[in-house]
Amino acid sequence: LAGHGVEARAATNMNAVRDTMDVLLEISRILNTGLDRETLSICVRLCEQGINLEALSSVIKELRKVTEALKAAENMTADFLEKF
Amino acid sequence: MATPDQKSPNVLLQNLCCRILGRSEADVAQQFQYAVRVIGSNFAPTVERDEFLVAEKIKKELIRQRREADAALFSELHRKLHSQGILKNKWSILYLLLSLSEDPRKQPSKVSSYAALFAQALPRDAHSTPYYYARPQSLPLSYQDRSAPSAPSSGSMGSSGISSVSLCGLSGPAPTPQPLLPGQSHQAPGIGDCLRQQLGSRLAWTLTANQPSLQTTTSRGIPNTARNVTRSRREGDTGGTMEVTEAALVRDILYVFQGIDGKNIKMSNTENCYKVEGKANLSKSLRDTAVRLAELGWLHNKIRKYTDQRSLDRSFGLVGQSFCAALHQELKEYYRLLSVLHSQLQLEDDQGVNLGLESSLTLRRLLVWTYDPKIRLKTLAALVDHCQGRKGGELASAVHAYTKTGDPYMRSLVQHILSLVSHPILSFLYRWIYDGELEDTYHEFFVASDPTVKTDRLWHDKYTLRKSMIPSFITMDQSRKVLLIGKSINFLHQVCHDQTPTAKMIAVTRSAESPQDAADLFTDLENAFQGKIDAAYFETSKYLLDVLNKKYSLLDHMQAMRRYLLLGQGDFIRHLMDLLKPELVRPATTLYQHNLTGILETAVRATNAQFDSPEILRRLDVRLLEVSPGDTGWDVFSLDYHVDGPIATVFTRECMSHYLRVFNFLWRAKRMEYILTDIRKGHMCNAKLLRSVPEFSGVLHQCHILASEMVHFIHQMQYYITFEVLECSWDELWNKVQRAQDLDHIIAAHEVFLDTIISRCLLDSSSRALLNQLRAVFDQIIELQNAQDAIYRTALEELQRRLQFEEKKKQHEIEGQWGVTAAEEEEEEKRVQEFKESIPKMCSQLRILTHFYQGIVQQFLVLLTTSSDESLQFLSFRLDFNEHYKAREPRLHVSLGTRGRRSSHT
Repeated sequence: LAGHGVEARAATNMNAVRDTMDVLLEISRILNTGLDRETLSICVRLCEQGINLEALSSVIKELRKVTEALKAAENMTADFLEKF
Repeated sequence: MATPDQKSPNVLLQNLCCRILGRSEADVAQQFQYAVRVIGSNFAPTVERDEFLVAEKIKKELIRQRREADAALFSELHRKLHSQGILKNKWSILYLLLSLSEDPRKQPSKVSSYAALFAQALPRDAHSTPYYYARPQSLPLSYQDRSAPSAPSSGSMGSSGISSVSLCGLSGPAPTPQPLLPGQSHQAPGIGDCLRQQLGSRLAWTLTANQPSLQTTTSRGIPNTARNVTRSRREGDTGGTMEVTEAALVRDILYVFQGIDGKNIKMSNTENCYKVEGKANLSKSLRDTAVRLAELGWLHNKIRKYTDQRSLDRSFGLVGQSFCAALHQELKEYYRLLSVLHSQLQLEDDQGVNLGLESSLTLRRLLVWTYDPKIRLKTLAALVDHCQGRKGGELASAVHAYTKTGDPYMRSLVQHILSLVSHPILSFLYRWIYDGELEDTYHEFFVASDPTVKTDRLWHDKYTLRKSMIPSFITMDQSRKVLLIGKSINFLHQVCHDQTPTAKMIAVTRSAESPQDAADLFTDLENAFQGKIDAAYFETSKYLLDVLNKKYSLLDHMQAMRRYLLLGQGDFIRHLMDLLKPELVRPATTLYQHNLTGILETAVRATNAQFDSPEILRRLDVRLLEVSPGDTGWDVFSLDYHVDGPIATVFTRECMSHYLRVFNFLWRAKRMEYILTDIRKGHMCNAKLLRSVPEFSGVLHQCHILASEMVHFIHQMQYYITFEVLECSWDELWNKVQRAQDLDHIIAAHEVFLDTIISRCLLDSSSRALLNQLRAVFDQIIELQNAQDAIYRTALEELQRRLQFEEKKKQHEIEGQWGVTAAEEEEEEKRVQEFKESIPKMCSQLRILTHFYQGIVQQFLVLLTTSSDESLQFLSFRLDFNEHYKAREPRLHVSLGTRGRRSSHT
């Protein structure tokens, strides 16, 4: 049983992690943050490592803005080129 | 932490970027760097907060959003989380989630798209005008451009004025780092200023003024959202039905910009401007702003009308077409701006009316954005006005006039248009000076070709300058040279039949022609263009003169003219006259041309003329003028010189007729000389003989005196003609011809030469009186010759008879008879008496002749002294050197005026 212990502990760990992630995902959904599982897991890891939260939050927001801007620009360009 | 993978924060961050942006690792480099910079500057975590506090905050927020159910759910989840011991910093993730949370009721912000719209440069097609950014602080415009080469050089930016507005805008996240630095308030007017200075455009100013409020900064997440919400709620009140809203006006204005009447703003044809309808319920400021904006539409209409009209005009020509094309391109840029504005309007429409103040189009914003385009359109409209009704070179001159302005912006715009407009003219010009071809269907070029002219008059008449079409940047001198070059090439091709390709003839390399060339031309106008024209001119003219001299021996022919037609070859002329004398005394009607030609050839062979080239001798010929009744051969005889081909360009028919007139005059004078020498010969031969007839001595003496006077006169005349007239003018002509640089110089010099000779030989119309006098003198000389002949005949007859008488007497004495019988002696006496009586008749005849002659000469002298030509006045001095005539002629006593001229008394 000793040999299984590590694995069992690892398995229980994995379960626990998954559960935690589920809970966090649910909270994130309630709060309407728009994060998906992957991003959330990265964020969790960064937070665990003690990152500056305000900075991270602004970075994420900025990145989102950029994404939207690029998307909008692509649409706009498509429109322009259509007209001319 | 029990998680197996302990990746470094950087890698995690990169992954994060990839996930959010949805791109691969390579593409996110920029954003990743930015993220690293931000986070790296503040890695130390902030104040440790309590997990429960955060959870409470979340619950409160959810309740505020009226989501109690969700709040309960959250509590449940939190409890579960808390029970799990995996995470160490539960509070941090909760806090992060809270800060990233968004109010579901809040509208998705359109701010980003808005900023991005103007942050993107418009797709760069081949733009019309290079936008010369002549501002003092030409700093790099954004983060990215800071590494790029600075200050746009002329022509390299290649974007129009309208899109360059966006070039100085912001791209993406560039300006945001500064406000994110901790400790800085989000208002940051200082940043706005700094950016304003950097970018220097009004558009950026408006953008940065908006930026701070658009960003949701760190610690103000919730309050900011609250503020936004309240603001949007306030905005919702507008849109009353009675008042015309600004939005409606904006829509109208966008139509007006294109020249279409809007709902409230219409074109008033009577006043030729756009007016807002009086009944609309508008505030005064809005009305004024709208009207100001409508000016742009008016300008657009003007330009559009011009281009539309001109495109229908078939005879507008290439220059006009390029002008319209340039205008059209400018208008296209303008349309682009309009479409951008339009799409902005469209976006607003799609999202509904109630948007934040920051993102709508207002009249004020339009004013600011259309400021630069308005200046451009104003310049273009002014150009259009100025160029109404012009085409070709005139149009180019009109555009050129507008480049003389101090405003560098306007100058660059007009110069660009000018370079496009003058491109066709320059291409015409290059073809003309390098190939001699002229394909100008719309008569735009300043060289005009007359198709009705034949090759013999090609040089003189075929090509002329169209003065109205000379552009103002080409001087008169240059345009004359250009005309000459093309003319020479055509002359070579058609008249000299010299088809040497110009490439060989002209060493100048022919530069590629492009609109860039035209633009360069105006900046470096002095040297390059002038240099090109001068080089072409020198080469072409030199070649032409070479061809004329070598192949067609122009100068040799000129000298031949001098020798034969202007009696330069003395021995030949003398011999010819000798041979012709017996022929020409006959009446003119009995002369045959072939006889005379034969005599001419004999003369040629016998004198130095035989050493001339056969080409020249071939052209020498006899010509019989028109015969009037009573003419002797002397009156109708003339030499002739045939010219053809290129030589005929210099020796035109007119010139040849001048030459013949001069020949006539010179020939007569020479004949007089000849006659007088005959008279002299006669004197000398018969003097001895007639010594034995003493009665004659008086008569003969008188004869001699008169003859001497005449000789003196003719001698002076000949001197005058030969030296003062012919030699001097010829010398001048020869010098000029040797130094001539082109054919025009030679032709001009030659004409001057002929004119001088004609006027000095008294052949022009103003000297008719003098000429008549001279003819009268010549007639008297002929009279004298006749009289003298008669006298000698009589004298010799008398002498003969006397001798015969003496002979007979001697004979009789030898025969032993009386030498002379009384009857014979008486007879002899009677005869001698008769003879003696006839002498006084001869004397009186001579006296009359003398008197007549002297009268004519005096008249001639009087006329000479009143002539305006200096050399004729000197002639009068020489003729009357010992004042012999002055003593007799009271009119010659009048003293000369200050200028050495006697006033005319006749």
